[in-house]
Amino acid sequence: MSDAPAVVATPLLEAQDVRKTYRLGAIEVPVLHGASLAVREGEWLAVMGSSGSGKSTLLHILGGLDRADRVGRNADGGEVRFRGRAIERLSNRALDRYRNREIGFVFQFYHLLPELSVVENAVLPALVGQVPLLWRSRRSEIRERAIDLLERFGLGHRLKHRPRELSGGERQRVAIARALANRPAVLLADEPTGNLDRKTGGEILDLLAEEHRRGLTIVMVTHDAGIGERADRTLWLRDGRVDGAPEI
Amino acid sequence: MVYASLLANRYLASRVIPLIAVLAVALNVALVVIVVSVMTGFLDMLRSSGRTLMGDVVVTHEIVGIPDYERFLEILDETPGVHAASPLIETFGLVRMPYGRDGESRVEPVQVWAVDPRSLAEVTGFAEAVYWRAPTDDERAELDERDPRLDETFHKLDDALAINDPDVEPGMVLGIEISPFNSRTRRGTYRPTPSEAWMPLHDVTLSLVPVSSGGRIAEPREGRFRIANEFHSKVYQVDSQRVMIGLAEGQRLLRMAGGPLYDPDGERDENGRPLVIGRSPSRATTILVRGDDGLPPPELKYAVSAAYDRFLAELRDDPEAKVKPPSFVDIQTWEERLRDLIAPVEKERDLMNVLFSIIYVVSAALVLSIFWAIVHEKTRDIGILRAVGASRSGILWIFLQWGLVIGVIGACVGLGLGWLVVDNINAIHDAMGEAAPTWSVIVAGGLAAAALLATVVAAWRGSLLHGLIWSLATILLAAIAFGLSRHEGAVMWDPSVYYFDRIPSRVDLLRAGATMIGAVVFSILGAAIPAAKAADTDPVRALRYE
Ligand SMILES: Nc1ncnc2c1ncn2[C@@H]1O[C@H](COP(=O)(O)OP(=O)(O)OP(=O)(O)O)[C@@H](O)[C@H]1O
Ligand SMILES: [Mg+2]
Repeated sequence: MSDAPAVVATPLLEAQDVRKTYRLGAIEVPVLHGASLAVREGEWLAVMGSSGSGKSTLLHILGGLDRADRVGRNADGGEVRFRGRAIERLSNRALDRYRNREIGFVFQFYHLLPELSVVENAVLPALVGQVPLLWRSRRSEIRERAIDLLERFGLGHRLKHRPRELSGGERQRVAIARALANRPAVLLADEPTGNLDRKTGGEILDLLAEEHRRGLTIVMVTHDAGIGERADRTLWLRDGRVDGAPEI
Repeated sequence: MVYASLLANRYLASRVIPLIAVLAVALNVALVVIVVSVMTGFLDMLRSSGRTLMGDVVVTHEIVGIPDYERFLEILDETPGVHAASPLIETFGLVRMPYGRDGESRVEPVQVWAVDPRSLAEVTGFAEAVYWRAPTDDERAELDERDPRLDETFHKLDDALAINDPDVEPGMVLGIEISPFNSRTRRGTYRPTPSEAWMPLHDVTLSLVPVSSGGRIAEPREGRFRIANEFHSKVYQVDSQRVMIGLAEGQRLLRMAGGPLYDPDGERDENGRPLVIGRSPSRATTILVRGDDGLPPPELKYAVSAAYDRFLAELRDDPEAKVKPPSFVDIQTWEERLRDLIAPVEKERDLMNVLFSIIYVVSAALVLSIFWAIVHEKTRDIGILRAVGASRSGILWIFLQWGLVIGVIGACVGLGLGWLVVDNINAIHDAMGEAAPTWSVIVAGGLAAAALLATVVAAWRGSLLHGLIWSLATILLAAIAFGLSRHEGAVMWDPSVYYFDRIPSRVDLLRAGATMIGAVVFSILGAAIPAAKAADTDPVRALRYE
C-alpha cells in the first residue's frame, strides 16, 4: 500500500501512511489519506501538488507542528519517524525540543516576529532552546553564528532593522537564517518563494542550494514545477497520496 | 527562559498598546479608590461626628429630667472608663430674631440645648465648633474693611464658653446656618456678611415652655439673650436648628433649678403659704458621657447603666431626697441615638457595597477584555514561537511578565490619580458647581478649530484614517466647548440632603492596597488566560491566524 520509493539506508525522516482529516462541524474534509515519503540525510526533496492538495498539512505533520489523525488506539493515522523514532509518541516537551533542535521551518509568509530586530529574529530558536544559566556563556557564540549567517545572506547592514523595514526577499532570508540557527537536521520549506517575484525567488533558491551543498537536508513543498526542478528528487501529492512520478 | 523576558520587554516597549493597557488598569484602580474613599470618609465622618456632637453615651429622661443629676455626675466621675460627663437640658423653643420683614421680627423654631460649656467641651467638640474668633492683628489686615469683626466690641467672641457665667449677660450660641447673614465660601468656611444684622452681639428673645417635675405644663417664659457666637458642627441638621444657652439660664426658664420644696396639699404657715418640706433638686434632661479613648461605646454604656443603678439605690435610701430619680432612663450609645440618621446611611453603605462590587467586577471584566484583545492580536506570534520550539509554559511566562508589569504600573498610576482626585474632591466639586471660566471655553474652542484645520489638511492629503480621527476630534472638542459655554454650574453635594456640609473622603490604605493587588492579579489573569488559550490552540491554526 506504500507508494514510498524503496530506500536502502535508514531514512532521516519518513512518513508512513499518514492520514489527516479536518472536521468542519459535521463535515469531514479528508486531506491526506495514506501519504508516505522518506528523506535521506543530505537530500533535497521537493513535494509538488496543486493548491489545496495538502502539501502544507503534510509538512506541518513532518515537523511535529501538527498531528496526524488518531483513529483508534493503534495509530491508524500513520506514523512519522525521525531517525527511526516515531515522533507521535514523544511527550509535549520532547516534541518542543524536536521542533527546536531538529527542524527548521521556512514559511511562505516569512512569519517573523514584528517586535524583534533582524538579529533577534535570527537567534530566536537558539534563545528558545537555551536554559538561562548557560545563556550568558553561550550568548556571544549564538549571536556570532546568527550574524555570520545573516552576513552570508547579504543582510549584514540590516541587523538592527525591524522586519517591516525589509523587502520580501530580505525577510525570507532572515526566516531562513532563523531556521538554520540551531543547525537543524532538516529544513522544511513551505512555498519559500511563493510570495516573491521570479528573480527574488531565484535568489532564495540559490541560497537554499548553497546550504544544501554544505550538507543541509531540505524538504520543500511547492506547486510550481519550475521551482521543484531545483531539488534532487521530486514527489507528487495527489488525492491525499504521494506519487513518485509527475503526472502527464 | 531568556526569550520570554526578551519578548515581554519588546511587547512592553511598543508605543500605543501598553499605554492603553496601563490606562485601562489605572482608570479602573482610580475609580475604585475614589468611590471607596468617599464611602470610607462618609462613614468616618459619621462616626467622628457622633462623638463630637454628643460624646459616646447619652443618658436622657426627656422633658421632666433627672433630679439630683449632680450626684449622678459625681458617681460617673468615679466610674472607671468614664472620661468626662456633661449635663444639659434639651428642649424646643422659639427665638425672635432681631431681623425680619416689614418691621416684624422673624421667629425661628429651634432646638435648645442648655449646656455647661466647660464640661461640654470636654465631652464633645464644642470648643472647636465655636466659630467666630476675635481677629488677631495680622488677620485684621486681611479682612474686608466692612467686616464686622473689625469692631472692637467683638473681642468678646472668645468668651463664648462663658455663656452661663452669671457675671456675663446671658448668652446664646447659634448654629451657624440659622441666620442668613453668614456666607459660605467654596472651601466650606464662613464669612460674615458686612451688615448690621450679622448675629454676634445682637440680642434675641427665647421663649420656652417649662414642665413641672410632675409633668405639668406651666406658662411659657421668655428670656433675653445676647448672641455670644455661632457654632459650626459641620452637621447641617444641627447647624441649622440648634441654639445653645447656659444650663443655669435654661434651668431658670424651665423651672428646673433647685429651690425650696413646698407641700401644696399640706399645712400652711401663719401667712397662709405652703410649708417648706425640703429642697427641690435641680434637674437636667440629658447627661452626655465620653469614655476613655479606645473604650467601645457599648462597654461604656454598660458601665454608665451600672452607675445609674448605684445612683438610684443611693437616693432611694436618702431621706433628704424628696424627689426620687426616675427608675427608667434612656441610656444609648451615640450610634443608637443617631439611629434615625444612621439607618439611611447604613442602607446607603449596603447599597455602596453592592455598587462597589459591581464596579470591581466591571473593572476586572474591562481589564480582562482589553488584555484579551491585546493578547489575541499576538496569536500569530504565539504560533511562530511554537513552531520554533517554544513550550506552552514559556509562552504563558511571556504574558505573565507582561501582565505583571502593566498591572503594577497601572495600579500605581491609578492610586496616584485616585489620590489626587480624592484630595481635591471638594475643589473639583466646587469648580463644577460654577459656570465654566471663559478661558476654558476659549481653549476648547481653539483646540476644536485646530482639529478642524488638521481635518482639512488630512483631507487635502487624501489620508482617510487621519481625516476620520481629526474630524472625530473636532466634533468632540466642539461639543466640549459648547458644553462648557452652556454650563452654569450644578451642585451635586447638597448638604441638607447628605448630612455633612463637605464631601468627606479618606484614602483607606488597606482597601487601596487590596484594590491594587486586585488590579495586578486581574492584569496577570487577563494576559495569561488568553495567552494560555492561544498556546493551547494548535500552532498551525495560530500561524494561519491573520
Ligand atoms: N484548519 C482547517 N480546517 C479545515 N480545513 C482545513 C484546515 N486547514 C486546511 N484545511 C483544508 O485542507 C486542505 C489542504 O490544505 P493545505 O494548506 O495543506 O493545502 P496546500 O497544498 O498547502 O495548499 P496551498 O498550495 O494553497 O498552500 C485544503 O482544502 C484546506 O481547505
Ligand atoms: Mg500551503
